[in-house]
Formats: sequence, structure tokens, C-alpha cells
Amino acid sequence: MSTLLQEIEAQISGIKTGVTKQNVGTVREIGDGVAKIEGLSDAMLNEMLDFGNGIIGLALNLEETEVGAIILGDYTSISEGQEVRTTGKLLQVPAGKELLGRVVNALGQPIDGKGPINATTNYPVEKIAPGIIKRKSVSQPVQTGIMAIDAMIPIGRGQRELIIGDRSTGKTTVAVDTIISQAQQNHAAEQLKDASYRPLYCIYVAIGQKQSNVARVIAVLEEAGAMPYTIVVSASASDSATTQYIAPFSGCAMGEWFMDNGMDALIIYDDLSKHAVAYRQVSLVLKRPSGREAYPGDVFYLHSRLLERSARVSEKYGNGSLTGLPIIETQAGDVSAYIPTNVISITDGQIYLETDLFYQGIRPAISVGLSVSRVGSNAQIKAMKQVAGRIKLDLAQYRELAAFAQFGSDLDAKTQAQLERGKRIVEVFKQPQYKPIVVEVQAAILWTVQNGLMDDVPVEKIKDFQTKLTEYLTSRKTAVMDKIRAEKALSDPLTAELKAAVTEFKQTYR
Amino acid sequence: MKTSKKLRQESRRLFRNCIVNGDLDENRVRQTVRLVISEKPRGYVPILSHFTRLLKLEEDSRAARIESAAPLSPETQMQVRQQLTRRYGNRLNFIFTQNPALLGGMRVQVGGDVYDGSVESRLRALQESF
Repeated sequence: MSTLLQEIEAQISGIKTGVTKQNVGTVREIGDGVAKIEGLSDAMLNEMLDFGNGIIGLALNLEETEVGAIILGDYTSISEGQEVRTTGKLLQVPAGKELLGRVVNALGQPIDGKGPINATTNYPVEKIAPGIIKRKSVSQPVQTGIMAIDAMIPIGRGQRELIIGDRSTGKTTVAVDTIISQAQQNHAAEQLKDASYRPLYCIYVAIGQKQSNVARVIAVLEEAGAMPYTIVVSASASDSATTQYIAPFSGCAMGEWFMDNGMDALIIYDDLSKHAVAYRQVSLVLKRPSGREAYPGDVFYLHSRLLERSARVSEKYGNGSLTGLPIIETQAGDVSAYIPTNVISITDGQIYLETDLFYQGIRPAISVGLSVSRVGSNAQIKAMKQVAGRIKLDLAQYRELAAFAQFGSDLDAKTQAQLERGKRIVEVFKQPQYKPIVVEVQAAILWTVQNGLMDDVPVEKIKDFQTKLTEYLTSRKTAVMDKIRAEKALSDPLTAELKAAVTEFKQTYR
Repeated sequence: MKTSKKLRQESRRLFRNCIVNGDLDENRVRQTVRLVISEKPRGYVPILSHFTRLLKLEEDSRAARIESAAPLSPETQMQVRQQLTRRYGNRLNFIFTQNPALLGGMRVQVGGDVYDGSVESRLRALQESF
């Protein structure tokens, strides 16, 4: 009882007893999540405004006689003539490890029914990106677990890699596979008490998605045991455009907490096309001038300031990183449309998913010719560089020859061999969803195919061969796999051991 | 009523012409309105509507509303007038009202600035802190 009394007395003494000064205004117009407020002479850009009853807004338009503000919450209870106060604060969201495993809305409030989040830190939603001096070049890999990406379009920690494609081409699947892969690696490192491994925490921001889709993603992550390392920020299609506009920035703020505290994080924006549409709606209701395709003139700045906050910082600033995987949905494969070209020019590469490849059965449907990672092999371990160095070229040559060969002409032995090798590489890169492959197994498989040890396996049996070889290596040759994982390179003795293992397997394979 | 950008600009121009030495000249306002009504330029009705709105905003910014729980003595009223005139200038219109809901103290609003020293606001702050 005495502790309670002390607490109350401390709270009472902490209250300001002087006269308080506030700046107020009156709502002149309200509709579509946007309010026009007269007065508020001291309002600043992006300042939080208090509408009463727990409803807050953001001042976005500062005009001569009024302020245009977006409402973050239920705007139906706001009426004309209502008093609005400035708060002198920027919009902040809770950040920290307390959010891991939770599903939150754009304001960081929990929506998963698991109780309140006791976050001790709040981070501003809008923040200036790290400067040039603070940054360090990208050199640590993000192992997505998707062999086609880790081999040919490697992603590094601190990079921004765009995932772009038409509807239903597997964009979200690539993102979810990456999260599951990180969770598996984090968990394995915890089990082995590997202090040298830096865990990668994930943030999945769902913007304008169907709630059934978000629920399915959460269910997949829970089943894979990935939720303890993941934060889900949801601004679904039924949420207001203002909430969908804020959500990516909120997720980015949560990711920046990890980066500023010397940890690594990965953030997925699914997707930024819907984010641009939500921003267009907000801007048009605010009567901002519209430009191409009715988007406001600063739609590029909307995404550039968001994605620039993904970076790798130097040791002096904690050596943390925030890797960004924005997703853009194209229409009919048009990558030269307005928003896709904007985001392509901002990011450090793109993974292009094609509908044709998807329906041919090549899944993930990654177009190797159009996909690129501007960080490249700097983000690969040496073992992958050794085996995957030529793969992109081999595949490009295979595609050229395949187009030529369909005319049925007689081909020389070397061309035939290239074609057969290319078919096997394409088969090897096919991968079921939600089944990421660890890097040592990827290196072993790619070494096997590059050194011709799959040339005598029929193309239609390649997947079966790969699956059984993986089982064999992970269960009977764990020592070789452990060495690849530890050394991160294929030395001559290790290569010899691997060759012996694969040869032994082939003798028993039917 | 929706007013086009050009008409709003015209209203603002007329309004700025009525400001003399930082103060709104009421005679000029009357002359302006009479002139617009007599000349009837294109879109004169929305121009006058927006002009009226600007006048209302200006009047609100010059209105000093002082609410108190109990009636203020003439000396206290004089003190309040002097303090506010020192801060905001001579152009204020003072309006003294009573509001028993404040419980005690005073609440002063000049334009968008609110100075709240009432007992009710302090109790509300205490409640919010808990």
C-alpha cells in the first residue's frame, strides 16, 4: 500500500501545475479520412494532432488559412466544428524486440489478441535516412534459401532488392521463403550457441492486402516456426488509405531500431504498388496537384525516402543493417510503367518473376535475363562464388541454343552437351514453396551439376536425384556439410570429400 | 460553396488591400464590398463568400475570449487586457464570459492560442497521467 501511495504522490508531483499553452483549431471539413482545420497557426509539417477521444492525425498540408490533416483512426466520430490541438510531437511507433512474434497495425498497436506490447522505446515514423559517412558497403549475405536467388541474384545485408512481377507469380512466396530461411538459420545458430552468427530479424509489412492473405502468411510463418523472429505490420484493404500510407514507414521505424542497435533486420513491403495507390488517394483528397496517372508529383520521393532508410551502417555506428525487399505488382508484364520504373531506379537490383515461366512449371519463376543484383558476388560466400560463378552465363547460353535447337537441325556434340547441361540446371533451380535450402546444400548441389555428375541422370529424374542427394548429404555426410558451413569455401580436400560422397551416392541411386 | 483558385486569389487580393498598417480597415472593407456588388465582376458571389470567410478568420484571430468560473473583478479584467495587449498588440477584441464547468481559474483563447489555467484542465491532466 505504501508503494502505491508513493507512486501516486510521484505522479501528482510530476504534473505541471502552471498554466498550459496550446494551439487549437476547428474542423471545417471532414471526409475520406482527411480533415480540413481552421486555425492551428503553430502546426508544423507531419506534426501529430489530437482530435480527442484517442484519435490522432498528421498535419500534411499547411495552407494559408487552414491545415489539411490525415486521420489515423476512426474518422467517423469526428464532426465539423470539433476542436483540434497540436501536440508538438512527431508520429512515433513502438520499437524493440518486444514486437517480435506480434501482429500490429500501422500505429504499432497489437491486433493479434495476445495482449498489450510493453515496448520501452518509440521510434519516429518519418526519419532522415543514414548519411553517406555513416554507411558501409554491403558484404554480408542474406541467404534466402532459394537457390536461384542465392546463386545468381545474391542479396546482401543492407541492400534493397525489388521483387517485381504480375499477379500470382510468386512474389509473396519468395518473401515468405526468405523469412522462413532466416528463422531456420537463427534457430540453428541458437541451438549450436554460435556466437559468430548474426541473427536476421524480419518485418513483413502488408499494405492493402486481403485479410485472408495476411492470415495465410501468418499461419505459414507460425507453422514454420518463424514468428518468434518476425514482426507483422498489417494495413489491410479494409483499413483507410491514410493507414495504408503510414504502414511502410512504421515498419521501417521498427526495422531501424534493430539497425541502430547493432543488429540486422530484413523488411518486406508487400506491396508498394498499393502503397502508391493509397498515397494517390490521400493526395487527391488533400487537393494536391496530380501528375502522371493521377499520382501526386512527389510519388517518387514517397518511395525513395522509404527505401533509402534501408542501409548498412559502419562499425562506429553499431555495424547494423536493414535490408529492404519491396514488392511491386506489374500489369501484363509492363516493367516500363510509372511506379515500377520509379522503384527499379531506386533499388539495388530486381528479381523479375514471369507469368510464362510460372505456367511452364519453372517455380520460382525468376527471369534470369531480366533479374539483377547490383551488389552481386560481394554478398556471396566463397563456396557459392566458386560453384555459381558460371551459372548465369551457362543459362544464358542455354536459352540462346534452345531457341536455335527447336528448329530441329543437327547439332554437334558440344552444343548438345550445353543444352543437356542447361536443362539440368533449370530443373535443379525449381524449388517447392516454403522449403528453403541451406547454403551448404546449395553449394553441394550446384557443385554436383557444374562438374557433370548429373549429366547421366535423365532430366525428368533430376528433382528426385536432388532430393535424395540432399537427404543423403544431410543425414550420412553431415561432416562434409558442417565443413562447408564452417569454412564457407570449397578447398581442394573438401572438394575431394564432396566428390567421394556424391560418387558413393550415385552408386546406390536408382 | 466551391470557389476556383483564381477567384480565391482575387478574394485574397481584395482582403490584403483592406489591411492598412497591419490593421483591418473597416471602412475599406465596406467600400470594397459595395464596389464589388455594384460592379458585379465575373464570379462576384463566390469572391464575396471567400472574402467573408477571410474576414471571419481575421476576426477570430483578433478575438480574445476569456472564460472564468466566477465573474472577474474590473481590476483583474484590466490586468488581463494589459497582458494580452502587450503580447498580441492593440487590435484585440476582448470577450469576457463565465463558465462554471472550469471549476476555478481562467481559460484564455486568442486566435489559435489557448492558455488554460483552469482547475478542470489540471484535473483532466491528472486523470490522463493515471
